[in-house]
Amino acid sequence: MVHMTTTVTRTAAGGATRTAASAVSFERVTKSYGEVRAVDGLTLDLYPGETVALLGPNGAGKSSTLDLLLGLRRPDSGTVSVFGTSPREAITAGRVGAMLQSGGLMDEVTVRELVRLACALHPRPHRVDEVLAHAGITQLADRKVDKLSGGQQQRVRFALATAGANDLVVLDEPTTGMDVTARQAFWATMREQADQGRAVLFATHYLEEADAIADRVLVLHRGRLLADGTAAEIKAKAGARKVSFDLEELRAGDPDLERRLRELPFLSAVGVFGHTVRLQSTDADATVHALYGLGIYPRNLEVAGLGLEQAFVAITAAEEAKAA
Amino acid sequence: MTNHTSNLTTNHTSKLTMNHTSNHTPGFTSGALVKLELIRSLRNKKFLFFSVMYPAMLFLIIAGGADATTEVGDSGLAMPAFMMVSMASFGALTAVLMGNSERIAKERQSGWVRQLRLTSLPGRGYVLAKTASAAVVSLPSIVVVFVVAALVKDVRLDAWQWLALTGAIWAGSLCFAALGVAVGYLATGDAVRPVTMILYFGLSVLGGLWMPTATFPGWLQSLADWTPTHAYAALGRAIELGDAPHAGDVVLLVAYFAVFAAGAAWLYRKDTLKA
Repeated sequence: MVHMTTTVTRTAAGGATRTAASAVSFERVTKSYGEVRAVDGLTLDLYPGETVALLGPNGAGKSSTLDLLLGLRRPDSGTVSVFGTSPREAITAGRVGAMLQSGGLMDEVTVRELVRLACALHPRPHRVDEVLAHAGITQLADRKVDKLSGGQQQRVRFALATAGANDLVVLDEPTTGMDVTARQAFWATMREQADQGRAVLFATHYLEEADAIADRVLVLHRGRLLADGTAAEIKAKAGARKVSFDLEELRAGDPDLERRLRELPFLSAVGVFGHTVRLQSTDADATVHALYGLGIYPRNLEVAGLGLEQAFVAITAAEEAKAA
Repeated sequence: MTNHTSNLTTNHTSKLTMNHTSNHTPGFTSGALVKLELIRSLRNKKFLFFSVMYPAMLFLIIAGGADATTEVGDSGLAMPAFMMVSMASFGALTAVLMGNSERIAKERQSGWVRQLRLTSLPGRGYVLAKTASAAVVSLPSIVVVFVVAALVKDVRLDAWQWLALTGAIWAGSLCFAALGVAVGYLATGDAVRPVTMILYFGLSVLGGLWMPTATFPGWLQSLADWTPTHAYAALGRAIELGDAPHAGDVVLLVAYFAVFAAGAAWLYRKDTLKA
C-alpha cells in the first residue's frame, strides 16, 4: 500500500501525465498452455522510474508473463498494454528493450556488427561505441559472437537490449553466467537506467539481487501475484523471524527435549543441527518466552528478520499448503 | 521525489525531440539486416562454393566433353546451351533454397528470430531480408555459369537473350526462395538438412536440371513435366531458342510460387503465435 502512495506522488510530481501513467499494465490476464494455466488472472501496473524484480519458483509463470508483456504471446483473456498501446506497438516505437534468456544471437558476425544492426533497427538509437562501452564489451567488439563465453554473450544480449533510448527495459535472468564483478557492473548500469526515469523489470533467481537492486518486488506463484511491495514489505509479509541458539543439553542427546522444542508456539520451521537449533517463528517474542519456560538455558540466542530468500520460501510454501 | 520529477521531465523532452527526428522506415531497417546477412553469406566459404562455384563446375563436368551440334532430345538446343540454363537455374535454386531453409530453421532454434521480434523490425522484415540476401548471392551463381559457358563452350546468344535469361532465372528463383522459407519454418534442428537435401536433389534431378528428362522413362517424364524446376529451366530454354517463355511454364511456376508462399506465410504465422 505504501507503494501505491509513492506512485501517485510520482505521477503528480511528474506533471507530464502521459509519461507518468503506467508503463506496463496487465488487466486480468490469463494464459494457458493446454491444461496448464501459466498466468492466472494477473493484474499489475509498473511505473516509469521503478526497478521491479519478478520472483517466483520455476514454473511460476515468470517467462510467460514476460512473453505476454513483450507481445511474443497473446493472452487468452484480459489485456496487456505497454505505454498505453499494444506491446508490439510499443516495441515498434522503440520504447522497450528486452533481454530474454531464450533470445539467441546471430552467428558468423562480430559483436560490433551485431550491435550496429541493433542500433540501426532502433528508432531512437544510441551510438554504437556508447552501447559497446556501456555493456562493457568494447574489447570484444571485433570478436565473432559465436566464439564468446556464456557471460560475454549475456553482455552482448544486454547491449542489444539497450541499443536505443528505451523507456522500459525487460530482463530475464540477466546475470546468469556472469561472475561477481560483471554482475556488480551490470547492476550499476541498470541502476543508471532506472535513475534516468526508465522502468526496469527483471526476473531473477538470485534473491539477494532483488533485495539489493529492486525498489519493488513481485512474487509470482502458479501464475498469480502472491505479493507486491518493497523487499522489506515482502519480508514482513512472510511474517516470520529467525530464532537461533545453542543448547548444551542437546549434546547429551535428549529425545524428549527435541520433541518439546518442536512443540514451541508459533513455529513455522524447526531445524536441529548438532546442538544448534534454528527456528522460524511467526511470533518470535512468544516463542522465546516459551523457550525460557522450558527451564533450559539457551546460549548465543539470536533473533533476526528473514532474508528475502527465506521470506520468499515462506510465502510460496504457505500458498502451497493452502492449495493442498 | 524531486529527482524523479526532473527525470520525468527530461524523459518527456527527449521523446518530443524523438518525434521530430523519427523518420525510420521499415525499408531502411530491413536494409541494415540485408546488409549484415550479405556480409555473413560472403564470409561463409562453404555456402559460396556450393551456390556460386559448384554449378559452374558441374556444367563443365556434364557439358565439357559435349559438342555443340548434337541436339538434346527434341529440345532444339545443343548440350552446352541446354546445360547452361540447367546449371544456372540449379545454382540460383541452391542459393535461395539452402540459404533460406537452413538458416531460418537454425535461427528459430537459437532464439535469434525471437530476439529480432523484440526490435522494431516488422515480422516480415526477417523473411524479406533473408530472401533478398539469398537473391543477391544467386545472381553471381547465374552469371558465373554463363561466363564459363560462353568462354569454355562458346555458347553464343544475342545481348537481349543474355539479359532476359538472367532476369528470368533470377525472378524464377523466388519460387524456391518461398519454398526455402516454408521449409525453414516447418522443419526444426536436425531435420532441416535432410528435408532440404531431399527437396533439393529431388527437384533438381526430377526437374531435369542435372540430366535432360528426355533420358527418363516415359512415366517419369510425365511426372517431371509437373515439377517447378522443370518449368523453371524451361523458361530459360525458350529464351535461348529466341522465344518468349511458354505461358504454361510461367503459369505452373507462378502457381507453385503461390502455394509455397501461402505455406510459408501460414507456417510463419503459426510459429509467431507459438513465440
